[in-house]
This record gives sequence, structure tokens and C-alpha cells, in this order.
Amino acid sequence: MPRPLLILLASLALVGCNGRSERAGGALLGTSQQAPALSGSGKWLAVVSDRGGRPTVQMRRLSDGSVVSVPQLSRHQPHSSPSLSWNGRYLAAITQRGRRRLAVVTDRLNGRMHPLPLPGGRDPVQLSLAPDAQQIALQVTDKGRWRVELLDLSDLLEPDRPPGQSLSTPALSSEP
Amino acid sequence: MIRVALLCSLVLVTGCSSNRPTPRHDLNGLLRQSVNSRRDPSLGGRWFASLGQSNGRERVELIDLRTRSSIPLPGLNRADAQPISVSVSADGQRLAVVQQREDRTELVLYRRNIGATQRLPLDPPGVPRSVSLDGAGRRLAVQVSRNGRWDVDLIRLP
Repeated sequence: MPRPLLILLASLALVGCNGRSERAGGALLGTSQQAPALSGSGKWLAVVSDRGGRPTVQMRRLSDGSVVSVPQLSRHQPHSSPSLSWNGRYLAAITQRGRRRLAVVTDRLNGRMHPLPLPGGRDPVQLSLAPDAQQIALQVTDKGRWRVELLDLSDLLEPDRPPGQSLSTPALSSEP
Repeated sequence: MIRVALLCSLVLVTGCSSNRPTPRHDLNGLLRQSVNSRRDPSLGGRWFASLGQSNGRERVELIDLRTRSSIPLPGLNRADAQPISVSVSADGQRLAVVQQREDRTELVLYRRNIGATQRLPLDPPGVPRSVSLDGAGRRLAVQVSRNGRWDVDLIRLP
């Protein structure tokens, strides 16, 4: 291939990489909102917004903009640091219990709420739920420093996988 | 009636005591090494991004939890940039970062396959704070300060 053509193709590729992003929408709600978290599928958004002066997690379906109720998180404000699994089945957040902060994972499919108390009675500051909900990362304060701890949730929660992803199954033996 | 109550209590206690979250001691030890402080975690399946501080400087770090190895991010952690928030896609190929550079807070997208950052303009202009990528790294939500209040913008990425 001639060298000028190669350079032209490379330039076109670079221009494509640097193209401007398409805006999907501006401000979503009329009220102030913070700590956005997209589901792995990109179809759900959780934010923290003020509800009656109390920071509360709100979940929104992006296809039609509708707000979805999460009854398990109607109390224990202030809420912070929401995080969603792939299809939005699980919503993790930090809640208030008395004088302590407590991370919880809500299962929107069956309505259960799973508290995730930290060893040593430490308070979580921020969290991130893995897209398949099989582990969670919790930021805590430890001796004046930030630290992140990973918890395995595979005994607690069913995986929330992308649609169409095959489950691992035992290999079939080729022998009779 | 008492027997039924006892049976129900037993079932409840059994249900509460099993299936607990368990700390990943192997990985938590790894996360404590090499940095003085670590914050802003982002889990994308096997990929774990965070802001780690060592030698007085905070940097974006990406760790492959499966191989327990730190992934080089050439071109991302510039000496004049201070990261504020990070989010990683589920395949670990894309990182969205809010960073402060030259007295300006900016939103950038880092693609590992080309090792380059792309600045993502906010329209209307605002100051980004917290960012979240979807699994495919094709959609992004960012908290933006405008006119004294926080908005959330959604941005589709090429």
C-alpha cells in the first residue's frame, strides 16, 4: 500500500478517536443531584438527591426517564455512594443507622436488604459494587488514612450477569 | 404454638448466620501494599481502579484482580495532574477520570489500547466532580457543578 495512503488512513483513525462525545441528555432532574452511578448495562442510573432535605438514593430508568421506587431505601438517610449491578437488580449504598454508617445491598428482585457490617466497627465512606454483584469494594478510614477493602459476596447474592452471557458448565466428556 | 415459634426462630437464625460476606484477605493485603492511602474504588469485574497515594502524590491505579498485578497506564498519570475521581469499564479497557490540571478541573477518557487520554468537554460548561462509566465504557454519568448546584450529565462515547 502506498505510504501516503497509509498516513491518510492513520489520520482518519485518529480523527475518529478524538471525535466529540454525543450528549445523551442535560440535567436530568430539577433538584440537585450527586454521586451518579450507572448500571453495567448503561440502562439504569442511581443518584443521591435531596428529598425533604434528606440526601436519598433515587433510581431512574434511562430509556424513558422514569423514577423507580426502591422501598428498602426509603429510610436510614442520609444515603451516599450508590452503586448498581449489571442489570440494576442490586443497588448498594451507604446508609445511616443511629450514629454509624452502614453499607447495604438491596435486591430489587425479591425486596431483600443485605447489611454489610465491617469488621472492627469501622464506617464505610465510599463503595463500588462489581457489575456481577459477586464482590464489593468499601473505602474506610484506618488510622487517619483511606483504605479499600474487598468483600466476597458470592455466598450472599446470585450473580447479575449481562443478558446472553453463557454460564460456565462442566465440560462434556468426549469418551463414551 | 411454642414449637412453631421455636422452629421459626431456628430458621431465622440459620438464615442470618449463613451466607455472609467474607473479606478477600489475599487481595486486601495486596491493596495495602505500595500505597500510603487508597480511595475512590471502582470495580469493573476483574478490574479494580482506585486513587492510590504514595510519596505524597496521588495516582490512578488499575489492578487486575485475577492475576493480582498492577496494570501500567502510560500517558495517564501526568506529573501536573491531580486525580479526583475514577471509573473503569467492565473490560478494563476504558477509564473515565476527573482530574485537576493547570487550575482547571477536567473530565478525560483514557483508552488503554492506544494509551492516550481524550478530554471530554462539558456543555454547558461546568466543574466535574464524580464520574461513572457503564460496563461497555460507552456511556458515562458525571456530577457537574453549575451555577451553585450539582447536576448529573450523561455522555455517549464513541
